[in-house]
Amino acid sequence: MNSAVAYRFVVCSSLLLGGLLSAKPLTLSQNSDSLPPNSDSLPPTPLSSVLSSADSQSGPLPSLSALQARYKALSKQLSRLKPQEPYILVDTARNHLYLKQRDDVLLDALASTGSGTILPKPGGTTDQWVFDTPRGEFFVRSKLLNPAWVKPDWAFIEEGLEVPRDQADRVEQGVLGAYALGFGNGYFIHGTLYTRLLGKNVTHGCIRLHDDDLKRVYRVARIGTPIIIF
Amino acid sequence: MDPNDPASLQEVTRVLQEEVKLAARPYNYLLIDLVTRTIHIKGRGLDLYRIPIVAWSMKAPSAVHGTHRLIARPPIARRTVDPTVSVEQVPLSLADMPTAYTLSFTPALTIEVRPSDEENLFRRLWAGTKNWWRSVNEWASSFSGGESSDPSPALLLELSREQAQSLAWSAVDGMPLVIRRTTDKK
Repeated sequence: MNSAVAYRFVVCSSLLLGGLLSAKPLTLSQNSDSLPPNSDSLPPTPLSSVLSSADSQSGPLPSLSALQARYKALSKQLSRLKPQEPYILVDTARNHLYLKQRDDVLLDALASTGSGTILPKPGGTTDQWVFDTPRGEFFVRSKLLNPAWVKPDWAFIEEGLEVPRDQADRVEQGVLGAYALGFGNGYFIHGTLYTRLLGKNVTHGCIRLHDDDLKRVYRVARIGTPIIIF
Repeated sequence: MDPNDPASLQEVTRVLQEEVKLAARPYNYLLIDLVTRTIHIKGRGLDLYRIPIVAWSMKAPSAVHGTHRLIARPPIARRTVDPTVSVEQVPLSLADMPTAYTLSFTPALTIEVRPSDEENLFRRLWAGTKNWWRSVNEWASSFSGGESSDPSPALLLELSREQAQSLAWSAVDGMPLVIRRTTDKK
């Protein structure tokens, strides 16, 4: 795995809203597991800066009151970093999606997440698609009603079909449910026709939900709602 | 945590300081709390999942500094989709994850995960022999003025099989890790 360059392309790729053919396939990062999901939003912190000031064991112990004050301040700081509004939590190991607000669980829904399988790209290269659901923190970037699926290349290739040249031949209606929430790089939370597969790792990276659960999530989520995936 | 124990408070504060940095970024991280015997999978300061530790032992805990980063996740046998075959590939699941594996971090730290119900006597004996041999080597080189004056830390974790698989699943390359050490003076 490590030797192969794992370019990952759009997974649920492009969704089509209404009749608009605006979706385009997106190229995901190399070796997606090793790179941060939102690397464009925050530059990586150099390791040296992460480690500086880290271990203060070498010097004498500060006074108890100073330590207590520091502990209090840091706890407060950490608490402030937690989402204050409702957020979506996805457990890819157990295939559950939770809608949460602070410690309250507003919804516990069975989901389907990435299958982890590999599809080699045609052309005899070592490039491949890896169908994982990305991990880390994302945000709801788009909310779509009655989305249509614009099938990406891999959807044809994995079925042994030729990739169509005409964009219109990629469009498939009614397979993604009534709503879709995009969280970047072609990944979506959407509905499914295959409800019997909920609870299993079967998708190409998107997160599938039952219609009722999807409706609830769609209603609560706003643009900017955090999606934390592990 | 005892708020009146300076050593314990300092260790918790050190970990919190690291956590504040990690929680400010959009990536998940691991916090291994040896005091409460819990592995926390965290993001944005939230506890995403908790893994109980059945037993642990640590070598060179004083050499654990700040944040460590996972070099490589445990190897996974991913299935390859073959478009020429009509049979659908079985997807990856938690059950495919290993129960015994080693996680390597930078700066140097090794975590060996072992199932707590390990029945393979030979495997246990082999692990014990390896640990013993490592200790003998370190002891010998400390006499000869060798280079192991600052040995790399190593943590052995015993987890239930399911939880060992959960950890393997959640670990991704480059994932940050912070360890809260015990401050007992034994």
